[in-house]
Amino acid sequence: MPTSTGRSPPASSPPGRNSISAGRMMLSERERERYRRQILLFGEEGQERLSEAEIFIAGAGGLGSPVAIYLAVAGVGTLTLVDSDVVDQTNLNRQILHFDRNIGEKKTASAEEKLAELNPDITVRAVDARIDEGNAAGLVGKADGIVDCLDNYPARYLLNRVSLEKRIPLFHGAIRGMYGQATTLIPGKTPCLSCIFPTPPPAEVFPVVGVTPGLIGMVQATEVLKFLLGRGELLANRLFLWDGLAAQGSEVCVEKNPRCVVCGDGKGEHRRVRK
Amino acid sequence: MKVRVRFFARFRELLGTDIPADPADGTSFDDLVREIARKNREGYNAIFDEHGSFRDFVILMRNGKRVEAADAGKTMLADGDEIAVFPPVSGG
Repeated sequence: MPTSTGRSPPASSPPGRNSISAGRMMLSERERERYRRQILLFGEEGQERLSEAEIFIAGAGGLGSPVAIYLAVAGVGTLTLVDSDVVDQTNLNRQILHFDRNIGEKKTASAEEKLAELNPDITVRAVDARIDEGNAAGLVGKADGIVDCLDNYPARYLLNRVSLEKRIPLFHGAIRGMYGQATTLIPGKTPCLSCIFPTPPPAEVFPVVGVTPGLIGMVQATEVLKFLLGRGELLANRLFLWDGLAAQGSEVCVEKNPRCVVCGDGKGEHRRVRK
Repeated sequence: MKVRVRFFARFRELLGTDIPADPADGTSFDDLVREIARKNREGYNAIFDEHGSFRDFVILMRNGKRVEAADAGKTMLADGDEIAVFPPVSGG
């Protein structure tokens, strides 16, 4: 599990993929070729670091699809993808992991198939489950990061608490129509999700066109890679707001709420998540 | 005094953004947002509930710092302030 410094120590290795030498996972020749253009960017050590990492993706829908696809092709070693839904025709305008032929199938099965084809050198664990208070911490396990690709705040709040309890960063994203938001939440260093959004907007069947979760998912996936690589400036203590209609990105500073019911003075009002 | 008002997302569609305002001294955060929102009924209703209170999910910020809705009426604006008002989005 990473520390809050943004470094990622080794996660468990997928079997039969590459060799381990002196405690480090070595890339196979095929992997060196596959990742050659990004090894130019962050070196073999960076690529090995990605290979050793495990990322938990909550949701295989509009945000989860691009996040999973790009983390898979970047070579993040283990992706755990959780969703309980079945592919519906109305999903196909944005949930690009799922195809017309998958209508009626579990999203996890559909996602696993595509991700395995996109990159056979990673391990994909697709878990058919609905995240709830009883299973959230167990599902996240020892992941190095949690990517919030959910479509509702109650489940987001559960992951927020798991993130705080286990000190695992939470990469938040959400969309509506042509608007989106994203921020990176690092326990101990940034506000938590409840500090920023103490009250969810009303539940609705939200309008959306696929380009919006595509763009916000890319912000989240970029943050995950930077975090794992220990590179660049994270979107920490800043909330990115995207307005696709105006073609304008903005950001606002966000800070801890001392009265936050989850991480501030008000904590304890909520039941804590079991480890 | 000069204050810059920024609405985002749906609020921006209804009310515009980067609105330069020239409120009188003693104008509160609540006063200014309410005055601008009144220019568009739908915009006003998106931000305020039927009792005239900020809807509980609306996020209010002054110079990058959060303002609690309960404090907006006593948060006096100053020259050069930038305020932001936006709704969180929830879809994925």
